[in-house]
Amino acid sequence: MLYLLGAFVILLLLVAGSRGLSLLFGLGINIISIVALLILIADGFNVLITTMIVSVIILIVAIFMNVENPSTANIAFKTSLLIMVVIILITIPIEYWASAQGMGVEDQEELEGFSLAAGVSFPQLAVAVIVVNSLGVISETSVAITSGLNEIVENKPTLTPTEIFNDGFSVGNRILITQTNTLLFNFFATTFPLFFLIHSLNDNLGEIVNDKLVVAEVVTMLICAIGVILTVPITSYLVYRNVKLKKI
Amino acid sequence: MNKKYLRIGVVIIIAICATVFTHFDSFLYKDPIIKVESVKTLERNKSTDEYKNTDTQVKQRLTGKFLNTDKRGQPISVDNTYYQSQLVDQKFRVGQQVMLTKTGRHYSVNDVKRDTVLVFTIGIVLVLLFCMQFSRGKLLTSVLLNLAVYYGFMRILINTHNSILLLMTVITALLISGIALIVILGPTTDALMAYSSTVISTTIAILLSVLLLSISNNSGVHMELTDFGLQPYFSVFISQVIFSVLGVILDETMDISSSLIEMKKEISNVSEKTLFQSGINIGRELVGPLINILLFIVIAEHLNVVLLYLSNGNSINYTFEMTLSLGFAQLLISGIGIVLTVPITSFIASKIITRRAV
Repeated sequence: MLYLLGAFVILLLLVAGSRGLSLLFGLGINIISIVALLILIADGFNVLITTMIVSVIILIVAIFMNVENPSTANIAFKTSLLIMVVIILITIPIEYWASAQGMGVEDQEELEGFSLAAGVSFPQLAVAVIVVNSLGVISETSVAITSGLNEIVENKPTLTPTEIFNDGFSVGNRILITQTNTLLFNFFATTFPLFFLIHSLNDNLGEIVNDKLVVAEVVTMLICAIGVILTVPITSYLVYRNVKLKKI
Repeated sequence: MNKKYLRIGVVIIIAICATVFTHFDSFLYKDPIIKVESVKTLERNKSTDEYKNTDTQVKQRLTGKFLNTDKRGQPISVDNTYYQSQLVDQKFRVGQQVMLTKTGRHYSVNDVKRDTVLVFTIGIVLVLLFCMQFSRGKLLTSVLLNLAVYYGFMRILINTHNSILLLMTVITALLISGIALIVILGPTTDALMAYSSTVISTTIAILLSVLLLSISNNSGVHMELTDFGLQPYFSVFISQVIFSVLGVILDETMDISSSLIEMKKEISNVSEKTLFQSGINIGRELVGPLINILLFIVIAEHLNVVLLYLSNGNSINYTFEMTLSLGFAQLLISGIGIVLTVPITSFIASKIITRRAV
């Protein structure tokens, strides 16, 4: 582990130079924030409220430390906050409906010897899982689309709102596909052991599509995708409003 | 414009129909399914365990009607016990469809029927896609092709009892990254360039990490804690790393190489060294956000188990060692891959682009 850490830090500093230090600093803050989130939840703080507060801190770090242009950072931050709220609003009813919280029968081995009366609300934690999962994807998408769009807008001083939206979608197209790939491949990474195990327990399509863990993974991926899709129109609108304000 | 609204209308109708269908599809299931009509709480036991966690154990009686099998329409009552925190057990509500298991003449609750919400969520994504001007064809093709490859991968894994996992992962990874690039960039030399950079960077990162891990004898990395304890631990771990980092590295190589191609178009006599240097400069900005993406995805996966450990009175150190150390090793290998991709892609792209006539 230490060797890996050492290799990572050395390579990062070699490639990114002084920028590497601020990257490490940003990663450190993010990890500390997540650890704080876990400890607060374990201490009995409300899961949803704690997650929201910590997520805002993480978004601030992820966006304002990585983006140098202040107007891009501002718009990207506003977009990601809005998307986070939307994600929470979609996730709560869907998770309530799906009841896909906590762990499954597949985890039985790992659960041995544990007191399952944990006193933590796992249905709420299921919402937190999806929100945390989306943080990186959302912040990266909003930054990429905002900076792409800002570049276009700065080169063409007169733009109608339709044009900005069209440009937003042409920038967003490729970002949407690459982010979908990232989400999909990560879904593959987490689910292949799961599917393998389900198969050895009971191979029946009905069981698989209703399985708690499978549904939880698919729903997580889909909700993150919804977040990425919605980033495009929201960013386009905020960039448009920004241009309009500047003109007046 | 009218055509567009028509298309959105059709997609919405299909999504609604599919959702409604799965609500009434219990005839497709062999297991008995009931619809819960009333729930009665029989007992509530508030308990505090040895770690001072207060939880309430509730026993509920569900009364409902069979929706399928030859008992269709007949009433039934089953009991269910759950903890209010609902880690592995389940609180059932009126209106839910519940799958039962039959042992002998006795029925017991198995699980909630979740296919309706699954189809509903897929429907939302599709409707949103069709409401906006994305090039859906490309996106859906790449997702469907990749899912098909993944399905084949799963079938082979199951048939070979997981014995050639690593080989299959490598083949699958080569296929899905190829599909992704061809769909996005088309069958061009640019795609080939990005493909070779992706493959080389991922391979070097994995080999380097495996070497480093074996020098340190996997110290601090609990391979036996891979998800669901699936064997062989090491192959499972490495396969997960490859799948998870692949999408991010693809993203990175495409970003770097397409920026360099643009640059060559604008300045036709740009030198190889300048191209390489700008590749590094572009890549530098990408590393942070890309590592962040994986950081949050990996941590989110482990939230449940971390809280289970913490609430069972384990120290923070022990909890993180048992639950997150593997995730961190995965992140570090991914990080090494993401960082290495920057010089490798810049090098390959600058070589190929300067030699190419514009």
